Amino acid sequence: MAKLKLAVYWASSCGGCDIALVELGEHLLELAEVADIVFWPAAMDFRYEDVEAMEDGSIDVTLFNGAIRTDEDAHIARLLRKKSKIMVAFGSCAMEGCIPSLANIKGADYGLRRAHIETPTTENPTGELPRGSYAMPEGDLSLPVLCGQVRTLEQLVPVEFKVPGCPPNHDQVWKAIQTLINGEVETSAVAQLLGVDPRTVCDQCPREREGKIRVKAFLRPHQVIPDPDKCFLEQGLICAGPATHAGCGALCIKANMPCRGCYGPPDGVVDQGAALLDAIVASLDGQTDGEIRKVLGTIVDPVGTFYRFSLADSYLQQMKMDDDASGRVCASQAEEVTE
Amino acid sequence: MIRSSQMDHSFVEQVQAQQGGEHLLTCWSCGTCAATCIVRRYEPAFNPRVILHKAGLGLRDEVLSSAEIWQCSACDACYPRCPKEIHISDVMKAIRNVAIEEGYEGPGPFAQVDEHKCSGCAVCTRACPYGAIDRVTVNVDGEERTVARVNHDLCLQCGVCVAACPSGAMSLEAQSDTELLTRMAQDGWLQRPRFADGGGDAPRILAFVCQWSIHSSHEWSELQSLESDSLRIVNLPCSGRVDPEMIMLALTQGADGVLLLGCEGGECHYKRGTYLGRSKVALLGTMLQQMGIEAQRVRFVEAGSLERNVLPLAVGAFRETLCALAPRQQALEEAIHG
Repeated sequence: MAKLKLAVYWASSCGGCDIALVELGEHLLELAEVADIVFWPAAMDFRYEDVEAMEDGSIDVTLFNGAIRTDEDAHIARLLRKKSKIMVAFGSCAMEGCIPSLANIKGADYGLRRAHIETPTTENPTGELPRGSYAMPEGDLSLPVLCGQVRTLEQLVPVEFKVPGCPPNHDQVWKAIQTLINGEVETSAVAQLLGVDPRTVCDQCPREREGKIRVKAFLRPHQVIPDPDKCFLEQGLICAGPATHAGCGALCIKANMPCRGCYGPPDGVVDQGAALLDAIVASLDGQTDGEIRKVLGTIVDPVGTFYRFSLADSYLQQMKMDDDASGRVCASQAEEVTE
Repeated sequence: MIRSSQMDHSFVEQVQAQQGGEHLLTCWSCGTCAATCIVRRYEPAFNPRVILHKAGLGLRDEVLSSAEIWQCSACDACYPRCPKEIHISDVMKAIRNVAIEEGYEGPGPFAQVDEHKCSGCAVCTRACPYGAIDRVTVNVDGEERTVARVNHDLCLQCGVCVAACPSGAMSLEAQSDTELLTRMAQDGWLQRPRFADGGGDAPRILAFVCQWSIHSSHEWSELQSLESDSLRIVNLPCSGRVDPEMIMLALTQGADGVLLLGCEGGECHYKRGTYLGRSKVALLGTMLQQMGIEAQRVRFVEAGSLERNVLPLAVGAFRETLCALAPRQQALEEAIHG
């Protein structure tokens, strides 16, 4: 049997997803027996031209990590889509926007202004902001341009599978890869989740839940050393476990940190933040409006807390705007038109 | 006709021995409770006066096997009006306790747990205003797992747990997510363009209405006739049943604004449902604001038990607010460039 052709790409990501692949350890050797890695910029020296030279559909599986934030991300996403039989949104960024998509709260222009002009440690007397191209004596230099909005891979191109996690747990990654190389799952019109367990994180959480305790205030993790045996929510710490797909094996929880929600929404839920909001409100104590308002006031940064990993792929985001509305048309859209 | 052979005084004593049941024979059957009872709007056969009278006569089998004893929602609208100051919901509870002791069960529908989906996260057990949900360890498909279980003797079908459950494991007949979504989207209402996007003659409002917050039968019967292209009404068992995901879904589609009508604080028929509904809307508003979306697009309105005609007035005021919002496009540009 011919060896599979495998590609890995990082768009706007931290590199953690690539590390998760390296964490496969000796499984990488097994992988190398059945698959050729034809593209993996984080690990080996590949050029975009190499990919462009490939025949359409010649890559069997592309593990695409990172969100779509720049015109470069969008260009490569489209390119790899064209060259690949199976496209996998690998990791939280590609699947649901993850941390980079929190930039959508304020938008790209605000982010640039804040980072390059306003922060107290920045000295930028001319107010120079990154531009797409610079004319230099040696010739024109170009930088990727930020899109108005951080998007998920699936918002740009069709995707066959999604592997959640920030980063995906390496055991789950291996399971997912095995599923892919053995062709155990038929692709369908709707992208399917790989590398998850049934139900939510609470199903794997070993902590004791009393079940009837409601709280009068929420604390942040740095304000308290939590009891390692009791449910975080019952100790007044916001834990995303109830509204997060199982798959990680409750890793953070075992390190005495509340779940932050990186494995995305449970089956049947579109908007993870809304599901978490409902679960959190249910555990509020308070009989009067005043009391309730006081408890709600202790939830710092609700969007960042409830949508820490899933903002780009949420109803809340859909209500906001798209690139066109912001007046900032991403170069990738121009590309789409010309294609 | 009531035969003396049916009258069993030991039943009266049994009820009186229960906490809250001691006032059973204090009732002089004036019917003030029945006149104020809101449950009668949905269940015309429900009449607290008749139940107390029959129980007082000792008609054990007739009372215990009737569906009506389970229908009192303990809202206590009758309590302040009873000239004999009988806490009628307590007497009802006492009667139900006797029924439970004798193996009777209410007619439901009760909240139901899908054990395959349930993670045992305890969100519903905290949410339930009646403490009707516990967690039990059972064998599901050959695996020992801890899942939620609903106590049918305590469940009053408010639906708060259905909204709270993040796994979609809880359901309540006629109030499931699918049924609510169907009502929201009926006749393509959700798919039509928003007023802000140039659709319709007025801002399109989706109103979730707690079934207890409409206080006169007349208003209740008029409710559906208020509906138009610019107003869709979806009834809920309680404002606490509202699901923020549905509110946001509506706002991403054809609704300019979402209104939630619930009972006044302290008057909720399900104890804390109003606070839950209000908290969800408040928190959602905070998040919209954080995102730079007008928080005025979601609104909670409370209806006091003595107020009438609240919904049409609230819709009118909400419509004005939505009209006053700058057109969406313009607001966005201001948010970005301002």
